Amino acid sequence: MSMDALLRSEEMTLCQMFLQSEAAYACVSELGEIGLVQFRDLNPDVNAFQRKFVNEIRRCEEMERKLRFLEKEINKDGIPMLNTGDNPEAPAPREMIDLEATYEKLENEMKEVNSNSEALKRNFLELTELKHILRKTQTFFEEAHHHQQALHDPSIAEERVGLLGEDPVSRSGQQKLGFVAGVILRERIPSFEVMLWRVCRGNVFLRQADIEAPLEDPITGDSVHKSVFIIFFQGEQLKSRIKKICEGYRATLYPCPETQAERREMAIGVMTRIEDLNTVLGQTQDHRHRVLVAAAKNIKVWSIKVRKIKAIYHTLNMFNLDVTQKCLIAECWCPVADLDRIQQALRSGTERSGSSVPSIINRMQTRMVPPTYNRCNKFTQGFQNIVDAYGVACYREVNPAPFTCITFPFLFAVMFGDMGHGLIMFLFALFLVLKEKQLQAKKIQNEIFSTFFGGRYIILLMGAFSVYTGLIYNDVFSKSLNLFGCQWVIPSSTYNLEALAADKIIVKPNGTFTGTSYPIGVDP
Amino acid sequence: MMPEISFNIDHGYLEGLLRGFKSGILKQADYLNLIQCETLDDLKLHLQSTDYGNFLANEPSPLTVSVIDDKLREKLVIEVEHMRNHALEPLSTFLDYIKYSYMIDNVILLITGTLHGRPIHELLPKCHPLGTFDQLAAINLANTSIMLYNAVLVDTPLAPYIKDCISAEDLDEMNVEIIRNTLYKSYLEDFYNFCKKQGGATADVMCEALAFDADRRAFIITINSFGTELSKEDRMKLYPRCGNLYPTGLKMLGECDDYDQVKAVADYYPQYKELFENSGSNPGDKTLEDKFFEHEVKLMKKAFMQQFQFGVFYAYIRLKEQENRNILWIGECVAQRHRAKIDSYIPIF
Repeated sequence: MSMDALLRSEEMTLCQMFLQSEAAYACVSELGEIGLVQFRDLNPDVNAFQRKFVNEIRRCEEMERKLRFLEKEINKDGIPMLNTGDNPEAPAPREMIDLEATYEKLENEMKEVNSNSEALKRNFLELTELKHILRKTQTFFEEAHHHQQALHDPSIAEERVGLLGEDPVSRSGQQKLGFVAGVILRERIPSFEVMLWRVCRGNVFLRQADIEAPLEDPITGDSVHKSVFIIFFQGEQLKSRIKKICEGYRATLYPCPETQAERREMAIGVMTRIEDLNTVLGQTQDHRHRVLVAAAKNIKVWSIKVRKIKAIYHTLNMFNLDVTQKCLIAECWCPVADLDRIQQALRSGTERSGSSVPSIINRMQTRMVPPTYNRCNKFTQGFQNIVDAYGVACYREVNPAPFTCITFPFLFAVMFGDMGHGLIMFLFALFLVLKEKQLQAKKIQNEIFSTFFGGRYIILLMGAFSVYTGLIYNDVFSKSLNLFGCQWVIPSSTYNLEALAADKIIVKPNGTFTGTSYPIGVDP
Repeated sequence: MMPEISFNIDHGYLEGLLRGFKSGILKQADYLNLIQCETLDDLKLHLQSTDYGNFLANEPSPLTVSVIDDKLREKLVIEVEHMRNHALEPLSTFLDYIKYSYMIDNVILLITGTLHGRPIHELLPKCHPLGTFDQLAAINLANTSIMLYNAVLVDTPLAPYIKDCISAEDLDEMNVEIIRNTLYKSYLEDFYNFCKKQGGATADVMCEALAFDADRRAFIITINSFGTELSKEDRMKLYPRCGNLYPTGLKMLGECDDYDQVKAVADYYPQYKELFENSGSNPGDKTLEDKFFEHEVKLMKKAFMQQFQFGVFYAYIRLKEQENRNILWIGECVAQRHRAKIDSYIPIF
């Protein structure tokens, strides 16, 4: 029987299951754990959103969304998620409500913490920007003062006399420049300057200085580079225009006091507020960290549970509801050899759900072609995959996979044929095989590595066979080994220096070949 | 001869990518499933099995049509931006031309919003992401169109288009529409000339598409101008001249006073005669706009028949827009439980 199983695909039978509605969930869960049945879809022409358990699937998707959100937050903080590799069972439907409540609570807490810290960060950003403004504007005001002095200078005021005909002295009282100070993203400054120049027709005076340290944007969390700017202008109309432009370029304006003393006072006040905010921010971050660490312990387990629940409901959607008898009818393909295990699974599922009526499974005769099921272990699985890539065999057809276990590596070795490289392949695959358990637990996502890891047994055999053919081809790292000595002898009498100087030399086997063959391999 | 050989060197990847996107456009079977949805969640469930995938997956539970609208738009913007970032000349200029039409829409949106007194930070999120540029936010400063040009648009690619409509009048409702149409007319004619210069299959496909767009605008401007203060001379100035109607049809349209005269003008052109024939405002008829959309979809589908030309990019964006309009129409009908006209979408494939 087992010999036959290796040569052909398993004998399958179509079964019909009658499951009590309460027991159905638990039975499907048990069947899912053993993984030996393939259910047929009994409602093929029903739309996805008209099926029976569509609401439960929606709830599962909501839960998955919340878990994804939590995972994203955990990754953002760089907290490692505990991955014990154990396989929790799908929870019962009533536990689903508890899980939902837990996730809801966690999500709300995270959202609250996030919005609080966003508000705090925004505050912090404003204060930091204000601090930088107060520092940098010192130089600006000095320059503006000089500019103002220059305006008072009668030599320049003369130009205005010609245009306006007013007394330059009386006009100097009105030369007081208004100003706005603010902070803007560094990338926007050139465009901002041009816009200011155009709109105000060159009547404003812009000074800017970079803020060296990058600031953190409260919403996205990126660090951005900003610059302090200060605009001097005259007149109310220009002021409103400047304000509109600043709003358009998303520059934040700050009230900046004019005198030096006031600025120093404000700077001190700002520093103390920044200190306070820092402590509050620190505490908020700590709280958030604690919540996330607590969640990180369970999140992998929860994800698996939710996925299992969803899979169970997808499967239940394929069943036919027999309303009169309050039971679900399912059709599935299963291997004849495993019928006992399936019945056991059904029994334990019925027990677990506490239902009194046992679930029934009975075989059906059918003309449909059963699916092909090849039972594989971890060694033959790789070869089976290669064979299936060319085409899955028909039901009960001879399975080429057992033969390919030997022929595939042998043919590879015939083409490869290098002892040295073959040895390296063999040792690499041996490492993968010996460290199998650890590497599998790591669940490495890298596609190339997982290709090699999945084919470790194939590579092992390929390496071993390559060593053998390398010996026959006498090839080690593309060089030859002289194991048995050379069977060709060159007598110096016939092949002396003069003969060797000729254009073409033919080595006559008569005088040179000793006549015996090599035990194995090719001439070195 | 030459374009076929050298097209793929620069643009092969993007055309291949684009045809992949095109095969993900919803088919008739998808629409049939969508109109059977009872709630917006059903809509989301069905869209998951299409090329849209899980684009709504992270939206919290009660879905609204505006959320779907945002996400649909975001998906299209990501695709177009990706293609634009990887494009070389002349495809990059071509894609920029497509973006200018969105810029014009954004500019007009902001001006109208400012006229109604809305603050700028409320209007900026409503702008289409494909049409943003730095100076956009400063639009609210412009009171007259001269200011609009001098201050805001002069450094943007839209500068040459506004030259035709500069005046010192203050911007108000009427002028804004005139500005929109004049901007669009200059843009369309410029785009048409660009495509014609490209020559080959691009010119074939695009010039036909842009000619239809120009004619459609001419008809719509004429019909909408009945009963307003727009004089006939002003109206003539708004017609784009790159369509099939130029020059005689436009002159005739300029003389029209009511809908029947417009229909008479359309009768001279076989493709437009058919569109006006079966449309009307009775219930059960398709409206004229719908017939125009249908004709556009037909033209855009034809664009994919030719290879090695840029028209496919334009066609994809237009078809995607139509698909988004369809999904939103169905979404609205579902959300408001008013299923009477739910199948008034325009089927694409």
